[in-house]
Amino acid sequence: MSAVPALGAERRLVEAASRLALPVALVAVFLLFSALAPGFLAAANLQSVLVNNFTLLSIVAVAMTFAVSAGGIDLSVGTAVDFASFAFVSLVLAGQPVPLALAAGLGGGAVVGLFNAVLIAGIGISPFLATLGTLFIGRSVQQLLTNGGNPVYLPPAGVPESFHLLGRGSLAGLPVPLLIAALVIALAAVILARSRFGRVVTAVGIEAEVVRYSGLPLKAHLAATYVLVALIAAVAGLVLTSTVTVYIPNSGNAFLLNAIGAAFIGTTLHRHGRPNIAGTVLGVLLLSLVANGLLMSGLNFYWQQVGTGLLIFTVLALSFASRKV
Amino acid sequence: MLVDTALLVPASARADTPSPQKTTVSQGLAGIALRGGALAVFVTVFVLFAFASPIFLTPFNLGNILAQSAISGVLAIGLTVVIIAGGGNVVSGGIDLSLAANMGLSAAVYAALSQAGQVDGVAVLAALGTGLAIGAVNALAVTWARIVPLLATLAVMNVVGGLELVLTQNTVIPAITPLLESLSGSGPFGIPALAYVLLGFALITAVVVQATPLGLRLYAVGEFPEAARASGLALKRFIAGSFLFSGLSGGIAGILSAAYLSGSTTGAGELLLPVVVTALLGQVFSRRLVPTITGTLLSALFVGVLINGFQLLNLSSTLVSGIQGLLILLVVSATTLLRPKEG
Repeated sequence: MSAVPALGAERRLVEAASRLALPVALVAVFLLFSALAPGFLAAANLQSVLVNNFTLLSIVAVAMTFAVSAGGIDLSVGTAVDFASFAFVSLVLAGQPVPLALAAGLGGGAVVGLFNAVLIAGIGISPFLATLGTLFIGRSVQQLLTNGGNPVYLPPAGVPESFHLLGRGSLAGLPVPLLIAALVIALAAVILARSRFGRVVTAVGIEAEVVRYSGLPLKAHLAATYVLVALIAAVAGLVLTSTVTVYIPNSGNAFLLNAIGAAFIGTTLHRHGRPNIAGTVLGVLLLSLVANGLLMSGLNFYWQQVGTGLLIFTVLALSFASRKV
Repeated sequence: MLVDTALLVPASARADTPSPQKTTVSQGLAGIALRGGALAVFVTVFVLFAFASPIFLTPFNLGNILAQSAISGVLAIGLTVVIIAGGGNVVSGGIDLSLAANMGLSAAVYAALSQAGQVDGVAVLAALGTGLAIGAVNALAVTWARIVPLLATLAVMNVVGGLELVLTQNTVIPAITPLLESLSGSGPFGIPALAYVLLGFALITAVVVQATPLGLRLYAVGEFPEAARASGLALKRFIAGSFLFSGLSGGIAGILSAAYLSGSTTGAGELLLPVVVTALLGQVFSRRLVPTITGTLLSALFVGVLINGFQLLNLSSTLVSGIQGLLILLVVSATTLLRPKEG
């Protein structure tokens, strides 16, 4: 993956072609649905793609990108989403002020991140197994907290107006959820590609031993990465809860596989196949456009999943087959 | 990886040969404690349930546990073979995320054909064929298109899950056929037929994987690909073969699930993570903490015992997933901490 770039012109051409798979697919999908699905190009529809499909998934997928960048994976992003949502809803229900409830939501997510950090950086368990364990424990904890998995609804009357700001508000004509997603994406891109922390995280993913031998605190960086992942995912949980005004136990898992898919599809954009925020965002955009386009073209709801899967498969196959010549 | 240097010793020989070069006495002892620990936990839980509930130890109930574990057991065994051939690194190594969806589609194909009036033979072949076809797609994606198994099978999972929805329109397709009736009925000694299927499937796979040259090569391909390549093994064929086998297990599990539930049901995908955990947890029940078929069988039965015991004691079965999670973390922490530290 991170091999020294080949110098041959042919090799370079192949490499460029493999990196183009994602952008080309994005344009092709856009043109295809513009032609096939009436109403796809309407401004209202494109905005709905961004608000309904793109926002939450992009936040979770950006979180996932940090874990993948550090050479790991986080299967418990959905758990962080859920814990944030639960803490947020519980405090609002108890009549606490919204800002405090929001902070508690971030705290709920951070608990998941800290737990992962102890397992991965402290004990040294592989991220896949550690976060799988967290996912399973989190599932039981949520069911215990909710009497076997009952949703926690907020009564419409008792909810303060400020509660809806994150999910339904708009600022300067733009929906707040979209602004939050944009902010998360921008910050994440800067942190991952431009900051010292991001460069060390990337180095951990490429060759952890080198980081250790360079005298950098490997474990601290690993721990910080998984806490950061959970915090970002928690933001998605807060926006989600503010939109739907209900906490449904274990619902955050719905993001998991798409977030992994987007983060890995995004790696095809990078010269050395590294995870990167721009690629992840394009990956999420691709998934969102396909989901919406299939819906708008009036295709049977069930074929949509088949279409999405086939498309991801094609992008991956094109990119992988041409990359490792 | 380095604890497994003795992997190339056949399973049958491993039992008697003393610990290999690298393991020191203390690590050996720690290892024994750990492995014994997993079994001890299993036995303790078993004995506790036996005392706590008068029904637990009856042959009828034990047969029930086996039958309830049959579907996830067969799937986890399929997954174990993929993990053996692909190597232990879950992100870049062997994994098959499409297994649960595969089971759902195979069950739907079987149920749909039975309802359309096809005889059992046709429906069974079609279900197994569906599983094999899914395995073949995975095999091609991993060996020919060179997509990382985690991603390839993730995409295939989406496609297969979607196809199941298209076929069933997200409804239950009932199916009652002679085969399903005999599968969901009792076999000899009043033990459910599903139990025999699980034990038979596990036995055959265990013999092939743990006691034949083929199985030995499978381990070599997964753990020491370079060495395996150097000694002339066609790595791609083994990896492709492992995905074909897991595809077939998905097909078999599909038929079992059609028998257990009298038709196809929705939501097969929810079985995915429990199956992954069962397969990974299985490593604790093996002598060298590597994936084995017998280990996976024990792990599947352990989960089955937990679920069953909780039901008998009227405890919330929601705790089962938490216990599974805790166990996997405990076990993996213990292995990680006990492993020799050097490079």
